[in-house]
Amino acid sequence: MKSRRSVGGRFLIALTFLFLYAPIVLLSVFSFNAGDSSVVWKGFSIDWYVKLFQNRLIMESVYTTLLVSILATVISTVAGTFAAIGLFGLKRRWRSPLMTVGNIPTVNADIVTGVSMCLLFAACFQGWSVFARWLNGVQDVVELPTRLTLGFTTLLLAHIAFDIPYVILNVSPKLRQMDKNLIDAAQDLGCTWMQTFRKVILPEIRPGVVSGALIAFTMSVDDFVISYFTAGSSTSTLAMTIYGMTKKRVSPEINAVSTLLFVTVLALLVLSNVLEARQEKAAQKKLMLQKTTEYHPVKPPRRAPAVTKRVWFRRAVALVSAAALLVVTFALATATSAQRVVNVCSWGEYIDTDLITQFEEETGIRVNYQTVESNETLYSLLKSGGGDYDVIVPSDYMISQLIEEDMLEELDYSQIPNFSLIGEDFKHLPYDPENKYTVPYAWGTLGIIYNTTMVDGEITSWEAMFDEKYAGQVLLINNSRDALGIALMYLGYSVNTTDEEEIRQAYQLLSDANDKGVYQGKVMDEVFQVMEGGNAAIAAYYAGDYLTMLENNEDLAFVVPEEGSNWFVDAMCVLKGARHYDEAMAWINFMASTDSCLANLDFIWYGTANTEAIEQYPAYYAEAYGEELDNETFRIIQTPPETLERCEMYLVLPKETRDLYKDLWLSLGV
Amino acid sequence: MKNKSRRLAIPYVIWMALFVVAPIVLMVIYAFTAEGGGLALDNFTSMGAYLDVFLRSFELALIATLVCLLVGYPVAYCMAKEGPRFQRIAMALIMLPMWMNFLLRTYAWMSILENNGLINQFLGAIGVLDLLGVDHIRLIRTQGAVVLGMVYNYLPFMILPIYSVIVKLDGSLLEAARDLGANTAGVFRKVIFPLSLPGILSGVTMVFVPSVSTFAISRLLGGGRQMMLGDLIEQQFLGGAYDPHLGAAIALVMMVVVVVCMAVMNHFGEGEEQAVML
Repeated sequence: MKSRRSVGGRFLIALTFLFLYAPIVLLSVFSFNAGDSSVVWKGFSIDWYVKLFQNRLIMESVYTTLLVSILATVISTVAGTFAAIGLFGLKRRWRSPLMTVGNIPTVNADIVTGVSMCLLFAACFQGWSVFARWLNGVQDVVELPTRLTLGFTTLLLAHIAFDIPYVILNVSPKLRQMDKNLIDAAQDLGCTWMQTFRKVILPEIRPGVVSGALIAFTMSVDDFVISYFTAGSSTSTLAMTIYGMTKKRVSPEINAVSTLLFVTVLALLVLSNVLEARQEKAAQKKLMLQKTTEYHPVKPPRRAPAVTKRVWFRRAVALVSAAALLVVTFALATATSAQRVVNVCSWGEYIDTDLITQFEEETGIRVNYQTVESNETLYSLLKSGGGDYDVIVPSDYMISQLIEEDMLEELDYSQIPNFSLIGEDFKHLPYDPENKYTVPYAWGTLGIIYNTTMVDGEITSWEAMFDEKYAGQVLLINNSRDALGIALMYLGYSVNTTDEEEIRQAYQLLSDANDKGVYQGKVMDEVFQVMEGGNAAIAAYYAGDYLTMLENNEDLAFVVPEEGSNWFVDAMCVLKGARHYDEAMAWINFMASTDSCLANLDFIWYGTANTEAIEQYPAYYAEAYGEELDNETFRIIQTPPETLERCEMYLVLPKETRDLYKDLWLSLGV
Repeated sequence: MKNKSRRLAIPYVIWMALFVVAPIVLMVIYAFTAEGGGLALDNFTSMGAYLDVFLRSFELALIATLVCLLVGYPVAYCMAKEGPRFQRIAMALIMLPMWMNFLLRTYAWMSILENNGLINQFLGAIGVLDLLGVDHIRLIRTQGAVVLGMVYNYLPFMILPIYSVIVKLDGSLLEAARDLGANTAGVFRKVIFPLSLPGILSGVTMVFVPSVSTFAISRLLGGGRQMMLGDLIEQQFLGGAYDPHLGAAIALVMMVVVVVCMAVMNHFGEGEEQAVML
């Protein structure tokens, strides 16, 4: 196949490489940027690398990725090799259908594999929960956990499941090429089965095993989709962490981690290529040697000492690295299991992270802090068995729904003395009338955030969200309740209406605007990045977040539209069957304290239900920033009564209406 | 030996029943039931509403596959003509990005395509934007960006199988064709192309299947404004519209459609369905 090489061909290849590598190079270059922009160069720095190594979330996910990939590779290589031998021993009539079924995971789209696994685990958990409840009911000797969640085990199982077929696919051809008489000969000569395997089969199929293991490892490392559906929330692979991060404010730490990964892989590749080239040279030399010795046969020594040494050296290295891996695994496993932990789930940019450190130092309880996008996403995650949380911070209407479905645990208020600091206005709200399940975390209003340089005049009405004038400049909020709520408010209906006609009208409004290209995209936590960067003009979002954005872009303005809006309370709750109940109480109590509320208020700019904190805040602000708190800002943090008057709280909707919301919401993207 | 080794298949068969067959069976059960149990076909009858999503996904995935093929084939062909050293390095360079997670690769494009991103800044700097009288060209959150993301991520999957088939072509066949009077185009059309068909088929499969089911690419580069099949399914399992029954039904339909497409395509390959592994 060696024929004329064309200049055009090389040019084409060069262009392809440029296309493949330009984005990666850019990413790498900007990982050394002093600023946090991925576009404007502000000087050289390695800050992002330092930050990367301090970022617990990323480092943990790197560790999870490596651990799950290595374990899955080892297990699936061993299992797959034996399975291939077993299949090989079967008659063709049995073998080919089994092979076909076994190959399903390699043929199916990842999402199908992921989703079906997710269903399998959810079904198992449900079965287990029924069984555990029954067993806990009939005896007192052992107390079984009733709520199982997706986690490292399920992730590992899924990875093994999709790795095994690749190993089999690589080992089978080698088995077929093998001389079957060798096996018979070995056994006739008195080898046991294991000896035959070790001394005859394995050497023959080794290349297949090695390439199978390599492909399995590559698949595991590169996988995102299957992990996403099977790992749940508390275990996160690097890909999942990155996906989570791209949905928020994108941080150049991602650039740094990509660069490191890229350099590592590049180094490995160069190394393996060099080794390969050297091996080839050695093989050629050997061949020549053989040719020269052909005529002067010299009896080779029984075992070349150099070879023995190398074999033993290799074995020793393998043994040591395996032992080291095991030790590290166990050390980390015990270290994490011995520590007291609380799993918290909240929204993006919704906490002063110093508070987490402070809590950990004060109590010695480790906080696994996770975020999800919206109430609806949280609900899906919980239902799919993916939410391994103790404390969650849902909004009012979702709390009602969770209580309704018996998913929340009652709180032990004797462990939460700071509950007494919560204002009376925030107790006995409709979502928790008897105040058994919740402690308010923060509250606020929904409104329109807009960029004054990109919009003519002042915006006062929700109309802006549907105005063709701003085609391609508007960001729609990415959850059904708020999005449809906005349309309902604009039409003058109640956000809690159950009238199908009214809801359909609201949907029509959104859908028409979507068809006309008004919306640039649907966003939740991405809104920060897009609005701050001036990449969109108008977004409906929450008051507190507006103030956060304002710090980075002074052109932004906020309005609670004249038609009225939604006011909400997000409250801390504990999930039923939470594994760290006492730690959860400690966390809730800590977050409800005046000091925490002040620090948090100053960071997230949402209103607080802690009466002391809100009274002290102006003084706190003056001390912290050396200037008076601007009244305008304070009115956005603590929405004044005259504005609140036109705001309505979301109430939980009946099942039929919820289903309607769901259907309409899905249709919107169609 | 045979009797003994046969027993080794038993654990695997059990494993397969648990982790390959059971999930799919469960998916089928979910697809055919409604919430709270009971056989129902609602999930399928209501799917008509999502026809557009199906069409869009298949359209975008097809475009991406076609682009990959049009770019990937010549590249693979030219690569196979180069010397062994060049080939080895080129192969390594093409596979290298695959070891970076595909999300990182997709993410790399986000900052390039933003309204204030590199391309727009560049176009602004050389005066193209002023010429057109706009302050930016919208690149991100468009279908074009989604296709670009697919092509970028899956192009190696197209190049590698085609390359590995072409490089193994028997040179004497080409010589024979030439000796028999075929010109270059004729050799390509009558010999090289038909013989590289298995590579093309496996490349097409490896690009099309992940493209049609993606949700990360469309979310990151498409802005989620117009859903693709992957988004639709993700929405019902871990997204904002929890409904595993409908989700399972959509996944099932997608699976069936993809399998049928592949079967039809492989039928054209006539018995050469032996997939070319990497």
